Amino acid sequence: MVLYDSATLGGSCSGSSSSSSSSKPPPLQQRQQTQQDIDGLLAGAGYRVRSSELRKVAQRLERLETAMVNSPADLSQLASDTIHYNPSDLASWVDSLLSEFIQPPNCPSAFIMDAETNQTVVSDAWTTAEPHMPQVHQNISYEQQSLNNQLTVDNQLTVVTAMEEDSGIRLVHMLMTCAECVQRGDFSLATSCLEDMQGLLTRVNTVCGIGKVAGHFIDALSRRIFQGIGGGSINGGSAYENEILYHHFYEACPYLKFAHFTANQAILEAFDGHDCVHVVDFNLMHGLQWPALIQALALRPGGPPLLRLTGIGPPSPDGRDSLREIGLRLAELARSVNVRFAFRGVAASRLEDVKPWMLQVNPKESVAVNSIMQLHRLLGSDLNRNSPIETVLSWIRSLNPKIMTVVEQEANHNQPGFLDRFTEALHYYSTMFDSLEACTVQTNKALAEIYIQREIANVVSCEGSARVERHEPLSKWRTRLSGAGFRPLHLGSNAYKQASMLLTLFSAEGYSVEENDGCLTL
Amino acid sequence: MVQTHRCEDHETVGENKEKRPKFFINDHVDILIEILKRLDGRSLCVAASVCRLWCTIARNDSLWENLCFRHVSPPPSSVRSVVLALGGYKRLYTGCVRPVRSRLGRMRKASWARDEVQLSLSLFCVDYYERLGGSNSNGRLVGESSPSSLMFLCKPVNV
Repeated sequence: MVLYDSATLGGSCSGSSSSSSSSKPPPLQQRQQTQQDIDGLLAGAGYRVRSSELRKVAQRLERLETAMVNSPADLSQLASDTIHYNPSDLASWVDSLLSEFIQPPNCPSAFIMDAETNQTVVSDAWTTAEPHMPQVHQNISYEQQSLNNQLTVDNQLTVVTAMEEDSGIRLVHMLMTCAECVQRGDFSLATSCLEDMQGLLTRVNTVCGIGKVAGHFIDALSRRIFQGIGGGSINGGSAYENEILYHHFYEACPYLKFAHFTANQAILEAFDGHDCVHVVDFNLMHGLQWPALIQALALRPGGPPLLRLTGIGPPSPDGRDSLREIGLRLAELARSVNVRFAFRGVAASRLEDVKPWMLQVNPKESVAVNSIMQLHRLLGSDLNRNSPIETVLSWIRSLNPKIMTVVEQEANHNQPGFLDRFTEALHYYSTMFDSLEACTVQTNKALAEIYIQREIANVVSCEGSARVERHEPLSKWRTRLSGAGFRPLHLGSNAYKQASMLLTLFSAEGYSVEENDGCLTL
Repeated sequence: MVQTHRCEDHETVGENKEKRPKFFINDHVDILIEILKRLDGRSLCVAASVCRLWCTIARNDSLWENLCFRHVSPPPSSVRSVVLALGGYKRLYTGCVRPVRSRLGRMRKASWARDEVQLSLSLFCVDYYERLGGSNSNGRLVGESSPSSLMFLCKPVNV
């Protein structure tokens, strides 16, 4: 760690260091006991630094090193400097040396500021540019308030862009540390980590990149620490809100479109030659998947079949039957293109509440079951009853469907260990946010981001039955589905072609379709 | 090739003006239609602003149908009823086929022409569906904005 290396820096710090390095108290314990006091380890080496200031001192020592390396000419001045700084008060010593480097030497040497300022307050007091703008030169203020002899001067060197990246990396490290604390149950340290991170956030660009993702994760962590793992407001969004967010997510990036078109292609191919078909949709939302299927069925050689659609969705409050409305719209579309169509809506707040008799499947018709990002919600295991995923998969199997299309997130967010889950989620959602930015569509992406943000909050801050975003990777789903009696079906070249075309249309950089043993991944 | 046709027309008209000043292309609508059938989309729109007759003819959906399926083998007759129900060939072309073709043009393979059209049809259908939602009294399902599922086909400059 930086602290211990830098302690040997600084040529002129000789003197009264007592060499009592033999008996070192156990590091971790010592530090936790003397939270606001002098750090024990460094005290053993003769330096008096407050534990709460360790990080700041380390940063400034690094800067001092950079400054010394960059301007060797000033070193000679330091050597002949007659002002003696007390080297055992490491914080003030390094600050005064830093100021020497940046200021011309014939400047009043009293830089005393309030010891309690955090980053944001300090930035208000300055008259120059805000700290997080690139290429800003150093800002030093000359407030002469005589307080205790803690000299804290916050200097910004000209390497701000490097510092931003550095801050980004630092943010990630701090996020990991905080998550580790949460896993250990050490909430006080986690809280202080959170505060540090929030301070660091002001120095990082939160409009894009790592800053934005980190912001969401910090929110989720604070939700977990302060509001507990019950979920609360995250899971309490109304169905109407969810529909709006889903719709914006559908438009802003190609994931859902890709899912819909690929699933439709598979269903179309499976229904080839059948005259009486029935599709069960596990999450109807606005029914945006089905117009394309209706049109494709209308134009298939041999004429359209009789199509029945059963849409499952959450019950709508205030008496509005949204399922029925969607059904009416789809029926009107089907009527325009001369496809015989029948719709049925099943309102259920959870998928495991749906029973097969509600779907009214006719034994003579071919059934297709379509699940877009719904099955992972059933993976929460409640030890009191049978695991819901097995129940649902078994009744799906009992319907004897011609085809079952499953679309899921390719991520591993269902591990029992919190830290592993957190790490995976951080990588996955950073990539997802990057991909969102790569899309050149003009729509307002803010709502799509809120959609993703809710997922993040659920993965990080909820546990037990409140955590519904339990994503699992492809291999696990394959085993699970074949264990339930399903045989994998390859998607075929038509689906792949269509997916590639769709991606090209989206004209976004960085997306690609991959085929993985019959499954398509975006 | 189209330009040549046009030039010939003008020449014919020019020549005929000296011999028989009573030949106008507008009197021979069937020839006009044959010519306009072979134009590309942009030229067809330009032709629509020549005069009222040309405008009426250019608005005729069968011209746009030709445009949509030009590079593809003639589609089955059922397509026509579907497309007409969903809003017509002109809308299909301007909304879907043209952007799809221009975007995919770089990597187009000969076998993809048919798939392009199919994809365009599917997207067209989704767009129709959204327009349905907007016109309903319960338009708030889709939000107060206009149908937007095809927005990703618009170039950022045009928006």
